[in-house]
Amino acid sequence: MRPLIELDKLGKKYGPTVVALRDVTASIDGRIIGLLGPNGAGKSTLLKCLLGLIPHDGTAKVLGLASKTHGREIRDRVGYMPEQEALLGGVSAVELCTYAGELSGLPRTEAMQRAHAALYYAGLEDKRYQLVDGYSTGMKQRVKLAQALVHDPEILFLDEPTNGLDPKSRDEMLQLIQEMPDRRGCAIVLSTHLLPDVERVCDKAMIMHKGALRFVGTIDELRGVRGHVGELNVYVKTDAEKLAEALRGAGASCYVHSPVVLAVDLPPTASARTVFERAKQAGVQVRGVEVRRESVEAGFLRVLGEEERRP
Amino acid sequence: MSEPTSRIHDLGYKRYVGTRRPASTRWRVILRNQIAIAWKRWWRYKLSLFLSIVITFVAGAIMYFIGGRNMKMLIGDGTQLKIVDGVLPAVVQFYCSFPLFILSLTLGSMIIASDTQTGAFTFYYVRPVRARDYVLGKLAGYGLIVGSLIIIPLILLAGFRLAIGLDSVDQLVERLVIFPKVLAIGTLATLLYTTIPLAISSLMAKRSHAIAVWAAYYYIFGNICAAIGLTSTPFVAAFDIQTGLSAVTQQLFNVSRPIQKNGFNLELSGNVAALILIAQVIVAIGVIAYQVSRDQKSGVGASS
Repeated sequence: MRPLIELDKLGKKYGPTVVALRDVTASIDGRIIGLLGPNGAGKSTLLKCLLGLIPHDGTAKVLGLASKTHGREIRDRVGYMPEQEALLGGVSAVELCTYAGELSGLPRTEAMQRAHAALYYAGLEDKRYQLVDGYSTGMKQRVKLAQALVHDPEILFLDEPTNGLDPKSRDEMLQLIQEMPDRRGCAIVLSTHLLPDVERVCDKAMIMHKGALRFVGTIDELRGVRGHVGELNVYVKTDAEKLAEALRGAGASCYVHSPVVLAVDLPPTASARTVFERAKQAGVQVRGVEVRRESVEAGFLRVLGEEERRP
Repeated sequence: MSEPTSRIHDLGYKRYVGTRRPASTRWRVILRNQIAIAWKRWWRYKLSLFLSIVITFVAGAIMYFIGGRNMKMLIGDGTQLKIVDGVLPAVVQFYCSFPLFILSLTLGSMIIASDTQTGAFTFYYVRPVRARDYVLGKLAGYGLIVGSLIIIPLILLAGFRLAIGLDSVDQLVERLVIFPKVLAIGTLATLLYTTIPLAISSLMAKRSHAIAVWAAYYYIFGNICAAIGLTSTPFVAAFDIQTGLSAVTQQLFNVSRPIQKNGFNLELSGNVAALILIAQVIVAIGVIAYQVSRDQKSGVGASS
């Protein structure tokens, strides 16, 4: 099956000295892909190259279409929700989304119907006839999402979609994003600085740094590369403290999170079998054992740290 | 304003399987939207339209009364027709000074600056819209609005002029030449009042700045050029849009008296004025195309 995005030695220079992208090669697929990287990493330049907006070296393909030659076809099939305010003044949300649909090639009636549907989907059904100028930040984010969705894209690029949102709105926005691949059948590329957002909704991640792609893989791979068989999370039916005492007797260090969960660092000579043996001796019922993994944030910092250590 | 709830509706969502309109026609969508925006608020277009209608009625009324039989007996046939013929070239100035200039302030000079201010370039260019589609859509949309305020009224007045004192078919054929003349002057005025405000608008990042700079260009720069033209180098006066248009109008309608400004007489050739005005239009279109193309490259995703 054709990957969503294919990059082959993609490069972009601004002027003779500023290298925004250097020989980026990757094949990217997934439902919700997190695009991560510090400021100036090249995320925006990558998005511009993918949309066919700027000339570049190498090849970038979206849905099998080369962005150098098929930029307009790509933009017909891709939705983009920008980070910055990018709405027209003096129009209602319905008018704005209808206009967006028409600009993407939908006939007027179809564009209008889909504008209503997209605004319903984004949760703006009762506010859709109000001027967007008077919208709150949360509502503007929702309109930006609706205008990106209205022409029924196959991929959605979301640039910092939860920026400036209060916790409740952020939670609702993430819920919308999470459900979109199943409900709308589109893949999502989520560019964000907020790693908890990535951890919650993404199944894949791309990490960019200094114009280069440093990591492409699943979230589990990002978190789990450092997973060590001796570093475990143990789930018990009850009495985690009792098991912790028993394991400390075997030379392990333990931290009890709750009566049913404890983190265990086993000594080099021990294995998961030790946990079961000690639990049996202590009369504690084990419900589950898993290798403890890094958080996405720790994985992200590790990838960047490895880059810093490179000669 | 209350925040929306977290319910998710799909309204029976189905993937769109119909055909999409060709990408080469997207400029028409921009054109239509431009006209819709202009029509939305009374002060954007309707105010200028009202002024244009008033000027047309007043000019028509003057032509009607002067062209009447009683006036013919009072001032004689030759003088009567001379006065009636003078109404059309004179009225061009009124259209330019009031409806067209006001429209350029309430709409024209804001169009592109407003898009820059609200970040709308990103909105356009993440879709299959090229810089030239945007420029064409905006120019054609606004141009139609401007044209409706001067070309249509001038054609109506020209038709009215045709009917006054008409005695024979030969006379009618002879007078038909008035239509290409009003079309030429109307088109030139439309181009000037469309492209220059839009060019200034494309150079500014804020609506208010664009309005101020356009007003300064029109009045301050225009008057300086007119003053230079009056005192030393006549052709410079054609850089003043009003003076330049006056010179072209007078030549087209064979008005022999010189242009008068602040008590001075200006000897400015209509051909030279037309060339300078057309040059301004070409430069303005170039500025718009360059600025919009530059904004396209820098606008999308710039702040992420």
